[in-house]
Amino acid sequence: MRNTPDIKEFHRPKTVTEAIGLLSQQDNGTVLIAGGTDLLPRRQSGRTGVTKNKLVDISGLGLNYIRETQDAFLIGAATDINTLASSPVFKTSPYTAIIEAALAHSTLTLRNRATLGGNLCNASPHADLALPLLVLDAVLVMEGPHGQKTINLDNFFIGPHCTVLEPSEILTEIRIPRMPEKSGANFIKLTRQHTAIDMAVVNAATCLSIKNGICISARIALGSVGPHPFRAKKAEAFMENKTLVKNTLQTAALFQEAAGLAAKEASPIDDIRATAAYRKEMIPVLLQQSLGKSLERSLS
Amino acid sequence: MIPVRININTEWREILVEPGERLIDTLRDRFLLTGTKEGCGEGQCGTCTINFNGKAVLSCLMLTVQADNGHILTIEGLQDGLDLHPLQTAFLTESAVQCGYCTPGMIMAGHALIKDHPEPDDSLVKHCLANNLCRCTGYEKPIQAILKAATEMKEKSHD
Repeated sequence: MRNTPDIKEFHRPKTVTEAIGLLSQQDNGTVLIAGGTDLLPRRQSGRTGVTKNKLVDISGLGLNYIRETQDAFLIGAATDINTLASSPVFKTSPYTAIIEAALAHSTLTLRNRATLGGNLCNASPHADLALPLLVLDAVLVMEGPHGQKTINLDNFFIGPHCTVLEPSEILTEIRIPRMPEKSGANFIKLTRQHTAIDMAVVNAATCLSIKNGICISARIALGSVGPHPFRAKKAEAFMENKTLVKNTLQTAALFQEAAGLAAKEASPIDDIRATAAYRKEMIPVLLQQSLGKSLERSLS
Repeated sequence: MIPVRININTEWREILVEPGERLIDTLRDRFLLTGTKEGCGEGQCGTCTINFNGKAVLSCLMLTVQADNGHILTIEGLQDGLDLHPLQTAFLTESAVQCGYCTPGMIMAGHALIKDHPEPDDSLVKHCLANNLCRCTGYEKPIQAILKAATEMKEKSHD
């Protein structure tokens, strides 16, 4: 019988409090598992994250839900990505970008197990779901020994596979505030081939909120071109208060300039998927398309 | 050792497993359900696809403890006595099998798809098989086989 390398304990807490207790009492040897689609293959191939050998399973904590309140959408961290992709809640603009990213994430089979919280907490530079959530100003709810705290997703990632989450804390919920009327968002992903399983060469999301023809808020997020998914804030600031009219040369020129600014904020590296130079070239191409789609959706 | 209760091909089983034991090993080594194959062992090839609570999942990327209280269906659980399942028949008649190593995984992926989408189109079947690699026959015939089985299952349900 083969065993996954060095897994010594497997705990199945029934409540969040119990899970936090397990995380707090064991010194640094515990790691959370939900679907396991990232954690387990990383152990099999002996890459990073294999030092922690006590697993705490959070699939029994009731964190698989999507709820709507008056001013936000609430998603349980252990919600699987196919559930997210098929949720009727996100079928209206600008939230459709969440569905686009969910459907672009890995494959139908993997998405049955992979969870939204897992995609965020793994903090891969390629994390598809991080991008629509960044442009939709998502807020993360974390529970720990000292109670609950919230943090903007924008402040969550600190490096490749690295977040601000403490070893004794659990991401329990992702909150997406309701955006102003006339907001449109889009997710876009460039991969090497048409194989669904590959990670992005560049992935991005944009969101535009329009009032009386003027952009009152712009969000541009990039993935796979830096240590973690991030917002291109100079490009966002440039877009604000600009008059936007779809399919006009003036607006296309504004998008081109914003996309160029965003590319300057990126710091891609060469890897097996693409060179840094190619990635840098592709950022403006993807962002111009994405901004065009977001504008179109904000007006419809 | 951790006690685990799993329903495998309609029968409840109770076993004690190591925390790191993978579901594919439990199926193959403890229950001799060797129809489920291991390919890459890292979630890329889909050869180990089974149905867990009605959904297609990779049995190399699940620990057996994660399957506690769940329902598993493997390729062995598809046929009814000596009668093959329409998916198995369609893979034969459409010549969708060459070496056969990827076949159980493809059939189980197709099985979960047809359960949720009784009338899948070409594009949906391609998405369904996107996690299943074949190194000999190719994909066109398995796609045709799944479409054919879906049509037959639908007709049968109207009989």
